[in-house]
Amino acid sequence: MREILALLKPRLWSFKNGSYSRDAKNRKLKGLLFGTVGLLFWAGIFAIFYRVLVYFQGIEGFGDVLARKLMSMVLVTLFSLLIFSSIITSLTKLYLSKDLILVHSMPVSTAKIFLARWFESTIDSSWMVVVYMLPVFLSYGIVYKAGLFFYTMVGLSIIPLCLIASGISAVAVVLVAVILPAGRLRSFFIFLGFVLFLILLMAFRLMRPERLVNPDTFASLILYFKSLEAPGSPFLPTTWIFDGIQAALQGQVGSAVFDLILTWSFAVAAIFVITWISGATYFTGYSKAQTTAGRLFPARGRKKRERTYLLNHLSGAVRAFAVKEIKTFFRDQTQWPQIFLIIALIVIYLYNFSVLPLDKSPIKTVYLQNIFSFLNMGLATFVLTAVAARFVYPAVSMEGEAFWIVRSSPVRIRTLLWIKFCVYYAPLLILTEILIVVSNLLLHVTPFMMVLSVTTVFLMVPGIVSMGVGFGAAYPDFQSENPAQSVTSFGGLLFMILCAGFIATVIVLEAGPVYTVFMAGFRGGSLSTLQWMWLVVSFSLVLLLCILAVIVPMRWGERCLSRND
Amino acid sequence: MIELKNLTKRYGKTLAVNNLNLSVARGEIYGFIGPNGAGKTTTIRIMGGVLAPTEGLVTIDGINMADDPEGVKRRIGFIPDRPFIYEKLTGMEFMRFSADLYGVDERVFRDKAEELLKKFAIFNWADELIESYSHGMKQRLIISSALLHDPTVIIVDEPMVGLDPAAIKMVKNMFRELSRGGMTIFMSTHTLAVAEDICDRIGVIHRGALIATGTTGDLKRDAGVEEADLEEVFLILTEGQQI
Ligand SMILES: Nc1ncnc2c1ncn2[C@@H]1O[C@H](COP(=O)(O)OP(=O)(O)OP(=O)(O)O)[C@@H](O)[C@H]1O
Ligand SMILES: [Mg+2]
Repeated sequence: MREILALLKPRLWSFKNGSYSRDAKNRKLKGLLFGTVGLLFWAGIFAIFYRVLVYFQGIEGFGDVLARKLMSMVLVTLFSLLIFSSIITSLTKLYLSKDLILVHSMPVSTAKIFLARWFESTIDSSWMVVVYMLPVFLSYGIVYKAGLFFYTMVGLSIIPLCLIASGISAVAVVLVAVILPAGRLRSFFIFLGFVLFLILLMAFRLMRPERLVNPDTFASLILYFKSLEAPGSPFLPTTWIFDGIQAALQGQVGSAVFDLILTWSFAVAAIFVITWISGATYFTGYSKAQTTAGRLFPARGRKKRERTYLLNHLSGAVRAFAVKEIKTFFRDQTQWPQIFLIIALIVIYLYNFSVLPLDKSPIKTVYLQNIFSFLNMGLATFVLTAVAARFVYPAVSMEGEAFWIVRSSPVRIRTLLWIKFCVYYAPLLILTEILIVVSNLLLHVTPFMMVLSVTTVFLMVPGIVSMGVGFGAAYPDFQSENPAQSVTSFGGLLFMILCAGFIATVIVLEAGPVYTVFMAGFRGGSLSTLQWMWLVVSFSLVLLLCILAVIVPMRWGERCLSRND
Repeated sequence: MIELKNLTKRYGKTLAVNNLNLSVARGEIYGFIGPNGAGKTTTIRIMGGVLAPTEGLVTIDGINMADDPEGVKRRIGFIPDRPFIYEKLTGMEFMRFSADLYGVDERVFRDKAEELLKKFAIFNWADELIESYSHGMKQRLIISSALLHDPTVIIVDEPMVGLDPAAIKMVKNMFRELSRGGMTIFMSTHTLAVAEDICDRIGVIHRGALIATGTTGDLKRDAGVEEADLEEVFLILTEGQQI
């Protein structure tokens, strides 16, 4: 036990020392920003669940069924999220972290190293999920007027749920590491990404969210839920937890405590078994994981020269960085789950448009279509922001410890930033335009709206990419072990918030005048001079905003990054 | 060729380099020695344009680093103390990258890169990802890439760390040869034998200040010992002044 605590201490101390380190001056500001955004999300989740539960209660006969169904869905989602995030975290913590070499050289048994690492990974992977699940249970407690017993039960049940999820993931990772051939552990990420992709698609297919919009099928949906009231499998931990919390909600102390004991005893037993298995196999897998992988798609002799041929007519520095950027990106297998995730999200996004029962809705279709196409523009650019946050924002930090190469080379920081901009701009523009065109086609919007959205997106993509590069340059983290996750840092959050603001402003600026044009066309009248002026001013403002969004962040990022002290 | 004037660097409150003045002539090999934390790496990073000085000027080949950093950097081959490079590129791709960055002519690149990689005995690894290289192999690759564009000045921080005896011997001979050809070399090192062996002049830095400079003979006179070797001279000069 003493050794396990000792192994956990460096992490605690680094956390504590955070206030002494270089960026201490921004700490208060950072705390405030993170606190505010976090609280807003928290409150938002609470508000949504509270509203939904109150609404359910109003439905004669089915209210409780629906509320129960919702909770069991929440628990299953929670459990799957926990499993997935623990797999990724424990893979990193147990096999890829740089300090592992030091840790394994210490006179501590494998099982203890495993336990310490596993504990860290459990906390890392579950704290956020848990924090954002609390408002869900809080809303249940309030709507059902539950007492202290319910809240205690929730608290006591979530802990073993996290332990079980992270335990299952850890043992899966440990076993996979032993089974996979040496150096292939990173390729596991690709596989994981693919599985995630399939799960997401299937989950969405099964839920068929479009039925919620369609009044014809809503009644049968309730019947459908009613039929699902059959209890979950008694072998699933989520079932025990669900039963326990439901019992607590209804004040049945005895059965709640029974389920709680069941969960806890399983969790504790699982930890023992997992530690035992890992003690025997973790080290073997760790040794294997240290072989660096051969390339998954090895270069085939002469062929590789052709692949960069498109870039061959570029000038020196530009080609150097462009080639490096693209190769590094595709050779890093840890990137792949996210690529799959993004593809899945986009497929789901487009799919939803194709099944929207627009014609069944009571509101006028033309009107709806236009609202939707503005909404769509916002959503598509927000998808772009998310993608940029994951890939463009970390682009500068990705240079990592090798950043001295740039600093000592005869290339200006400005050139570097613009190269990064161009490398990401082209694919992101194509992606967003495809997204917007396809979704607009599915929505059957007017040609005017089609042209408007394609143009607006064309103007906005450079701004968002530039903000990604600029903010990434202004808040670089060259020491990070996993720069891809730097989105969750101060700069990343700032980037997301400003992008959201940028998108919202552009859309509001456009939607107003477009609505009047539309209404005028509808009534067959023409626009007044004032309306024309409004139109011109609004669109000029949009253009100005988009230009500023490209120039200002790049300049700012360049200034910050050039200050090499 | 290299000229440092009143160079000062503060990291927050830590004074890492204190009013350093130094000049190195063309074709000279200058050795920079001093205890751990004396400020060698800091000085070298400033000379390479990787770090901005708090005060003072760096002039290389008559050009001021602050005025035309790109122009100066094009003349420098910079080799840092720790070999961090792009792990996901192959050795040859990294050479290609450097060549593009420093504007090496396409036609001479292939032969030149091949020659250097063969000289450093990593040609057989040229198509492997750098992440599978050992420490010394990465070091060899960085030295090769720094020589690719025929720099007029080489600035190198502890070149021998991680190299095997054969490579050390090779690098020593190569440095001598290059300096005979007119290349100026500025190196920091803890291997005093190497410094004594190939350096024309040596500077001793301690707590950020240059406390002695000159040939080995000059240093011996400064320390007041004629018979001792460089190690003893070093210990006497920096004696009792532990960090
Ligand atoms: N990034 C940094 N932030 C703050 N202080 C630093 C930083 N880097 C170096 N220092 C301080 O500057 C001083 C000089 O460090 P430097 O790395 O130049 O020493 P050095 O002569 O290269 O030592 P060594 O022989 O160990 O390589 C030391 O006191 C060190 O603590
Ligand atoms: Mg040093």
